Amino acid sequence: MQCNPPRTETSLPLKLLLMTILLLFNLSVFAQNIQVSGRVTDASGQALPGATVRVKGSTISTVTNTAGHYAISVSPTAILQFSFVGLTMQEINVNGQHVIDVNMRDDSRALSEVVVIGYQTIKKKDLTGAVATVNTVDASKVTGNSVAEQLQGLSPGVTVRNGGAPGQQSTIEIRGVASFINSAPLYVIDGMIADANPTINTDDIETIQILKDASAAAIYGSRAANGVVIITTKKGKKGEPKLSFNVKYGSQHIPKKWDVMNSTQYATLKRQEFTNSGLPVPASIGSAFNPGINTDWQSLDERAGNDQDYNVSLSGGSDNTTYLISGSFYRDEGVLKAYSFNRESFRVNTETKKGRLTFGENMLFTNTNNYHPNRGNAFYDLPQLLPTVPVQGSQFIDNSTAFGTMGFRNPQGWSTGTIDNGGDVTYAYNSLAVNNLSQGYNNYAKLVGNAFAQLRIFNWLDYKFNVGLEASFDYNQDFRKDGIFSYAAQQELSYIDQDRERFRNLLMEHTLNFNKTFGVHSINGVVGFTQQSYYRDATDARKTNLPIYNGQYLSQINAATGTSSASGSVIQDDKLQSFLGRVNYSYNDKYLLTASGRIDEDSRFGPNYRNGFFPSVAGAWRISKESFFKAPWVDDLKINASYGVLGINTISSFQNVGLINNAPRAVFNGDAVYTGAYQAQLYNSNLHWEKRQETNIGIDASLFNNRLSLSASVYKNIAKDVLVNQVLPDYLGNSGGNPPVNAASISNKGIEVEATYRDNGHDFKWSVTGNIATIKNKVLALGNQGVGINYIQQGSTRSEIGHPLGQWFVLKELGIFQNQAEIDNYKRNDGTVIEPFAKPGDIKFYANPNGAGTLNNNDRVYNGSPWPTLQSGLQFNGSYKQFSVNLQLVGIFGLTIYDDIRRVLDGYQNSNFRTAINPWSPTNTSGTDPRLGIANGDAGIANNNTPESSRWLENGSYGRIRNLEFGYQLPKSLAHQLHIDNARIFISGQNLLTVTKYKGQDPDVTGNGILQRGVDAGNWPSSRIYSIGINCGF
Amino acid sequence: MRILISKTNLKMKKFIMLAIAAITITVSGCKKYLDVTDPNAPTTTIYWKTSDDAQKGVNAIYSTFHRAGICRWYFFATMIRADEGWSTSPDANIQNNFDQFINNNYNYGNFTGIWNDLYVGVNRANQVLDNVPAINMDATLKNRLLGEAKFLRALFYYHLATLWGNVPLQLKSSTPTDLPPTSSQAQVYAQVEKDLTDAAAALPASYTGADIGRATKGAANALLAKAYMQQHNYQAALQPLQSIIQSNVYSLVANYQNNFLSTTEFNSESVFEYGNALNPNDNHDDDTQLAGEDNLNYGSSIPPFFAPRPIGFTDGQARRWPIAEFEKEKTTAGGRDPRLAATYLFDSTDVRGPNYTIIYGQTFASRYGTNDPDVWFRKFLNDNNGAATGDSFHSPNNYRFIRYADVLLMYAECLNETSATAQAYQYVDQVRQRAGLATLSSVAPGMNHDQFLAQIKHERITELTGEGHRWEDLARWGDLGPQLQTRDAGFKNFVKGKHELLPIPQQDLDINPHLKQNPGY
Repeated sequence: MQCNPPRTETSLPLKLLLMTILLLFNLSVFAQNIQVSGRVTDASGQALPGATVRVKGSTISTVTNTAGHYAISVSPTAILQFSFVGLTMQEINVNGQHVIDVNMRDDSRALSEVVVIGYQTIKKKDLTGAVATVNTVDASKVTGNSVAEQLQGLSPGVTVRNGGAPGQQSTIEIRGVASFINSAPLYVIDGMIADANPTINTDDIETIQILKDASAAAIYGSRAANGVVIITTKKGKKGEPKLSFNVKYGSQHIPKKWDVMNSTQYATLKRQEFTNSGLPVPASIGSAFNPGINTDWQSLDERAGNDQDYNVSLSGGSDNTTYLISGSFYRDEGVLKAYSFNRESFRVNTETKKGRLTFGENMLFTNTNNYHPNRGNAFYDLPQLLPTVPVQGSQFIDNSTAFGTMGFRNPQGWSTGTIDNGGDVTYAYNSLAVNNLSQGYNNYAKLVGNAFAQLRIFNWLDYKFNVGLEASFDYNQDFRKDGIFSYAAQQELSYIDQDRERFRNLLMEHTLNFNKTFGVHSINGVVGFTQQSYYRDATDARKTNLPIYNGQYLSQINAATGTSSASGSVIQDDKLQSFLGRVNYSYNDKYLLTASGRIDEDSRFGPNYRNGFFPSVAGAWRISKESFFKAPWVDDLKINASYGVLGINTISSFQNVGLINNAPRAVFNGDAVYTGAYQAQLYNSNLHWEKRQETNIGIDASLFNNRLSLSASVYKNIAKDVLVNQVLPDYLGNSGGNPPVNAASISNKGIEVEATYRDNGHDFKWSVTGNIATIKNKVLALGNQGVGINYIQQGSTRSEIGHPLGQWFVLKELGIFQNQAEIDNYKRNDGTVIEPFAKPGDIKFYANPNGAGTLNNNDRVYNGSPWPTLQSGLQFNGSYKQFSVNLQLVGIFGLTIYDDIRRVLDGYQNSNFRTAINPWSPTNTSGTDPRLGIANGDAGIANNNTPESSRWLENGSYGRIRNLEFGYQLPKSLAHQLHIDNARIFISGQNLLTVTKYKGQDPDVTGNGILQRGVDAGNWPSSRIYSIGINCGF
Repeated sequence: MRILISKTNLKMKKFIMLAIAAITITVSGCKKYLDVTDPNAPTTTIYWKTSDDAQKGVNAIYSTFHRAGICRWYFFATMIRADEGWSTSPDANIQNNFDQFINNNYNYGNFTGIWNDLYVGVNRANQVLDNVPAINMDATLKNRLLGEAKFLRALFYYHLATLWGNVPLQLKSSTPTDLPPTSSQAQVYAQVEKDLTDAAAALPASYTGADIGRATKGAANALLAKAYMQQHNYQAALQPLQSIIQSNVYSLVANYQNNFLSTTEFNSESVFEYGNALNPNDNHDDDTQLAGEDNLNYGSSIPPFFAPRPIGFTDGQARRWPIAEFEKEKTTAGGRDPRLAATYLFDSTDVRGPNYTIIYGQTFASRYGTNDPDVWFRKFLNDNNGAATGDSFHSPNNYRFIRYADVLLMYAECLNETSATAQAYQYVDQVRQRAGLATLSSVAPGMNHDQFLAQIKHERITELTGEGHRWEDLARWGDLGPQLQTRDAGFKNFVKGKHELLPIPQQDLDINPHLKQNPGY
């Protein structure tokens, strides 16, 4: 956490790096005449320290000191450029003056800002489509493994749900979900189409733009339908080399644990439960109960984790060349033992101009390591594990040597959820045993980058050739030691499994950009041709029986003495080629029109279905420019509308043909094994493009001297021929996964509003940005799902025409039967007693009065939605002199979560109990939970615990302090004494407070696929992180 | 472009030419560029062309026996549900669904697993039957392979008919949009009969070498008889049974226990077995998992689920009452019926009691004391060489689905049902004599139909307990009902007219509106 001045204590590698840079870029230096000095102030007349004063067209520059003063030696005819982040740059002709004072005004930043919209950059004010610019300063304040994690709450209509595990990518959706298979947006990093997963260093990011509607995204055609996130990494700027150094250290904590019972509480209640059911009490909690054993499983596996983030970068440039070199190290030690992630990355971005040619490259090399157990899910298992069972014990040791002739080898004596035969058992995995016995490791060494050559043919016409490459060398290891970690599971031999994969993503693009103005007419655009190919293959080898010497495992295949097995395949081989074009026309800055389109051909579809054409149009009207518009407090007012069709292809390689599977094995003639082969997985041959029609209407306004900016949009997207992994009935005998089919139509509509108010006119400068969004999602059609059937069922969810995707379709809990008479009188219209098996204290479920028979699956009804009715975010930034504060809030409202962990805990079988339960009993008739009893042979309790029931649904609304940061900027005088240009220290707290009724560990769940998005089956809760950090520049 | 080039310098010209060349090359290469073939697996368009393809296709059907639904949960559905077995599993779902007739989740995974795996087998057989006829290959072999496919399809549908009864009939290779209606149990049996009649005509009486274990004419006839008998069509069952007996292919092995040892598979008594082998590396049962075929299970899952604790989890175990059936008679030498020790592990597997009975290398007494009433099914465990101290998770011991002794008892039962009780004696006698018992002709001559049927019930318990036939026997005799709770408490929840059949998986009902749920669910 030190920030040493490089001039005095530069480390050797840094020196080498500096020398290399100096050699690479032979900086030209002017030496000229007069001394100019002055003072730079802001709009309120306050001194502006740290403003840059640069001689135009040169690399000579300086910065103002704490009093806002500067001095610079320049040619008498030079032009000086004064700049400061957030303020309008000013150019002043020196004209022989010796003193030049400058008053810098607020930037009408939102309007002059340039946005990247795919193959083009245009001024934000000229936008016709829905493009969100993310405040990357806010984003960077959040500690996250990946870009997506930092975006939560920052942009309306961008839904981020966090996974939380080290190295885990968050789930991000733009304007809802219209796909049944994949709702991830397309990422474009510096023009290279490549996933911004945790292998990407977030500190390298300069800007993030999110293309939300068809007009904005159509240029990416077939891959744009889930939205596009355009990431531009930091570039060098002309001027002296700048060295910056950022360090952040955070301590991670689990914000909430399951409040489960200790062993005495547990044994007491469990005895009661056996007694209630008229069953003998097992020795483990009865005669042999040992209160000395009181295992707090959660505490044993959980720890205070930490995040460490170190970044160093060097940037600068001359007239012709700019460069940025950065290196980073990030480490995430998770809150569970045995989980950690780290990433080393190195980036080089340069750009060089020579005459009409510009050559540039952006290159990232990253190496990530992810360590994690390979079995189970501790957040699912830990709360279930019994407090009466020790983690390990000599009584569990089983040193039998030969597999296949003896039971369960357990040399380390791990407990497996039961301590007496036929007694109290849990099937949950012993997480601490898993940590030790099943060690997973992934290493990805990856290069992502692009290089381009651009030729200015005319001043209005540029040709660009861009080649992008993402190459990844992946290594996945599964190291299994001898031993068992769960009750009633198959014994495994120790083994080592090493999987090596190669991934290559190659992009080639030729584009022509034009930009021409004729009087009041302005026209610009791009046309191009692109090709992209993806390829992944894998080779996997495994060998059993790892030898142990001196208690140490030898973990390499050559050391193993058992049987080896191998597999390998081409996992992905996809190719795409496309023609693209966009024209923007503007008349007098008042009327703006954009037309764009893309033709895509994708190898994943059969030859007859490959071509897709995806056009869009958009228009905008700047009302504030009209002569009739007279509202001096309105600085800018623009409305825009767009319509377009986007394509989507979510299928993987080789899914449009039937394939022969040769894995089956028959046994004949004693024990001889023979290969079998047949078509295991069914397929649909006529797979084609899924298309999405998108309509967007938006309004953007800047008011009160740009102090208030507002933008709002409404949209409606209709997805047609949606690719669905069709859930097949089991009578088809399909095996190997549900095949995709173009089967559905889904609409998403919503409103997004964002407003920012800023006040920079006083010492206390502040801004507040709030956003809200609604997403309404509806299934419109289900194609060939069947005759007379209008829904897709998956688990407890049903996606029915006219309803949102994945609604909960379950038995609905009405209450608790208080007495036998209530049970006997609860009848259908035909007189059938609905729950004849129930006893007082059992759950009364809704039953269709006109139905038949006892309670059954035909009594299921809709019961809530996993979709929030409202999503919101709020960011506050304030500064007073050297101090600054950043506050980010996230609010998600109106959704229902299926709490699968509570389903296990409150089922009272094979798990620990929550302390908060209140079981009904004849003496506790106000009990809100059903009666306590063993489900074996008890239909009433089996019914209480039926998984497809509203008992496990909970309100998932929450409000959260996502981040709170206090910063302190060192005064310039002090910084300069330390030979630092600028330095800032900060402390922050992430996920400090969550207000929710949800009973699980975290309502921010990523779910189980798209249709079961609200299922919490042990989602890794977002950690509370207390961080301290420093940013300094030299 | 020409104007442009004239304005630029030589380097620029070169660059532009290169760029144009690059565009031209890439654009012209378009069509080929997009043709990607899968190097991992042959497509269906190039398969089903050779004799080898046909044989592999048929092998795939047999492979279905090792999938979890059939190698594991099937035995719960037939043995544990019946009055011969029960469950003390700590998993309430296993107890309730397989033993207690509490089936409130129609998607219960271990039921749908059996259902799905039986249909996986059906789909495999259908692919052979659809594709092999067009292959240009040796006609005799082709005929046999088609016969095997028909036999196996019938076998899977026979299980579907006995377990679920009214099920969809898939008789062509499955396509994703198939929405067949429910066929009645009678229609399903009719299809089974048709396939088996065809199979019996096409299949050889026996095999040699590498083919030993494939379906035979005798197997087809035996299963055909079972299908007839489940429908009480005893008359029709006579002929196929008779043909098995008259074929002289089969005979009872002298040592009863040789029917249950992994070292004496495919003996003279074996009519049809599920071929099992041990894969010491196995860690899964999905025989379509391409990356894991080296780790595929080739055997049954009986030992870990049925073996005495702590060798197994005892999710399934045996009821004690049948022991009395074995003890009703002594052998002619005055000893205990030797079949009892081969059938069960319990305190007196050794007639001298718990201090002599060896349970996987230790005496019963040392493991459980002398008063433990637990009984475990023994026939498909691997303890029977007496030296084993443990067992494997997947067993190489073949499941003897149909034994000649079963055929003899079936024939006797059919004769009795068709008023030929006197002729039936000799077949029961063969079975009894092998066990060392006196002939029925000598101890109980002249029985009437009902007496003989009662005797058959006794004979089938002593001969066939723990082999997966008890549920079908009870169903055929109309003996399923809550009255069985006196010997198997789970039957107290049995509702007549409902629990004879399992619930059709809700998922399939949700997808296919043409299907009907079974009565009572």
